Amino acid sequence: MRRDFLVGQIPLITLIVLGVVIAVLTPRFLSPLNLSNVLVQAAVITVIAMGMTFVIIGGGFDLSVGSVVALSGCVCAMVMMEAGIAAGVAAGVAVGALVGLANGLIVTVLKVNPFITTLGTMVLVRGVVFLLTGSQQVPIDQSLPQPFIDFGIERLLGIHYLVWVPVALLFALSWVLARTPYGRSVYATGGNREAAYFSGIRVDRVVASTYVWCGALAGVAGVMLASRLQSGQPTAGEFYELTAIAAVVLGGAALHGGEGKLYKSVIGVFIMVILGNGLNLLNVDSYWQRVAIGAVIILAAAADRLRARRG
Amino acid sequence: MKRRTLLAVLALALAAGPAPSVAQQKPAIGVSLPQDDNPFYIAMLRGIRARAAELGFDVITVSSQEDKAKQINGVQDLIARGVKGILISPIDAVGVNAAYDAAAAAKVPIISVARASTSPNQLLHVAMDERQIGRDIGAYIAKAIGGKGKVAIIAGPPGSPTFKNLSDGIKESFAKHSAVQVVFDQFGALTRERGLKLAEDALVANPDLAAIYAANDDVALGASQAVVAAGRKGKVLVTGMNGIPPALRAVQDGSLAMTVELNPVDWGRLGVDVLAGYLKGEKYKQQVFIKHVLIDSKNIGDKMPKK
Repeated sequence: MRRDFLVGQIPLITLIVLGVVIAVLTPRFLSPLNLSNVLVQAAVITVIAMGMTFVIIGGGFDLSVGSVVALSGCVCAMVMMEAGIAAGVAAGVAVGALVGLANGLIVTVLKVNPFITTLGTMVLVRGVVFLLTGSQQVPIDQSLPQPFIDFGIERLLGIHYLVWVPVALLFALSWVLARTPYGRSVYATGGNREAAYFSGIRVDRVVASTYVWCGALAGVAGVMLASRLQSGQPTAGEFYELTAIAAVVLGGAALHGGEGKLYKSVIGVFIMVILGNGLNLLNVDSYWQRVAIGAVIILAAAADRLRARRG
Repeated sequence: MKRRTLLAVLALALAAGPAPSVAQQKPAIGVSLPQDDNPFYIAMLRGIRARAAELGFDVITVSSQEDKAKQINGVQDLIARGVKGILISPIDAVGVNAAYDAAAAAKVPIISVARASTSPNQLLHVAMDERQIGRDIGAYIAKAIGGKGKVAIIAGPPGSPTFKNLSDGIKESFAKHSAVQVVFDQFGALTRERGLKLAEDALVANPDLAAIYAANDDVALGASQAVVAAGRKGKVLVTGMNGIPPALRAVQDGSLAMTVELNPVDWGRLGVDVLAGYLKGEKYKQQVFIKHVLIDSKNIGDKMPKK
């Protein structure tokens, strides 16, 4: 029993060990400035990883989130320049949810494999972003409204506003997944689709809804990133999908669905972010950084499989 | 073939204008650029037209919109229309070599501007001197920090010769100052978020950092944001490259120390000059370099776009 508990905490243990090792190698890791940098660097990807967790628990997969981050950031900035901050933020999140809805419908109605569907939308959406912006940042010769820029810089109780967003979302969405009938239907559908169907769950709707969550959260992340970068950047979010998927898997979610917890995905995000931050602080060669990050993903996933086989 | 000849004749008739009787036939140069809606190439074409008019040439353009087959066809059309020479910015280094072959077969001189080709028939390349720009940036940084201090390099993507040449040039300049020390050397995508994140980490790792070289303006704007957020504006200088409008504004407000302007208008003018010189029998090296201008607080006033 106690061993099982420990094995279940492999992601957390990995994170702590990693943190200690880096702190020993470079004391600056624990400086207040760096810790606040790490929190901000993790904030955007955390929001994406939470959406990805919904999709993966439901048995799906979403490669389009990085492109959605760019799309929603640019749409947010464009609308904001015309119609104000609230409209811009709403438009950014809505456009993300729309892409998610499209993904969900293609997967459930047309029965296209999620990997292929979202590979398609990933490329397509990135194309749309470049068309929409002429591949230039938005806005090109003005600044975004100051309150929106301040949101990306200012702090509340010593912690950046950008960090409070994933904190609030973590509590709210964990409640949705763990305590509501809808949340349980997501786990049931991902765990065993047939059984879920025969127990009266409308599985297609549930699956489609997970993509809408994922798209909308990628939209939130895009708006946050636009605030941090003080502009909509058409190149934003490249490879975010891979970081987010790696983080969710590091957090112990199963790619075949039915398993996963939001807080564990957040731990996975921090493993990825702290690893990158630590390697930068140590000025490790960029090529070796890639080797190290790839190796950690494989090791963590392998440890997780070991646990699954024993259990 | 017949259709193309017909088209060419038709186009010639149109190019001659509504009153062909008064049209004194000026020699023409042909221009083929990768895009015709990109501000960089629009400006370059403006330079080409202005200089060609001064030297008494007509300019005939064909559009290609990043389509290699279209660019090759366009060059063939230019040859058919009897241009004296061709300025081309090839879509890529290999894909439109057929256009160079066609020009060589017709004995029409063809010169690459900005982008270059590997074709042996490329007469010469009007290029930016990447290595020298790197040296100049390096010298600027070394001088600005008083010949000593810690510097971070945020270079461009691996595998791109341009950014390797730039970094090599910078390191060459730093090598002359033994007290200038590169303490952080990373590369990455040319995006603002990459510049922001890498600069944040560089600033934490080196509390006494004196300068950050960023591969281009987007990276530099991200890096300068990190410097401002860390409360070290003015203490850590950041340099960029390209002279895009947001970077010029950043130079003006002091968050960016310097950017390098590559003026596409001048690039176009120089292309025409070289082609005209070649037609008169002058000899050139394989590469002719355009001038670049370092823009900092001293000359930013002349560079800001007029409102």
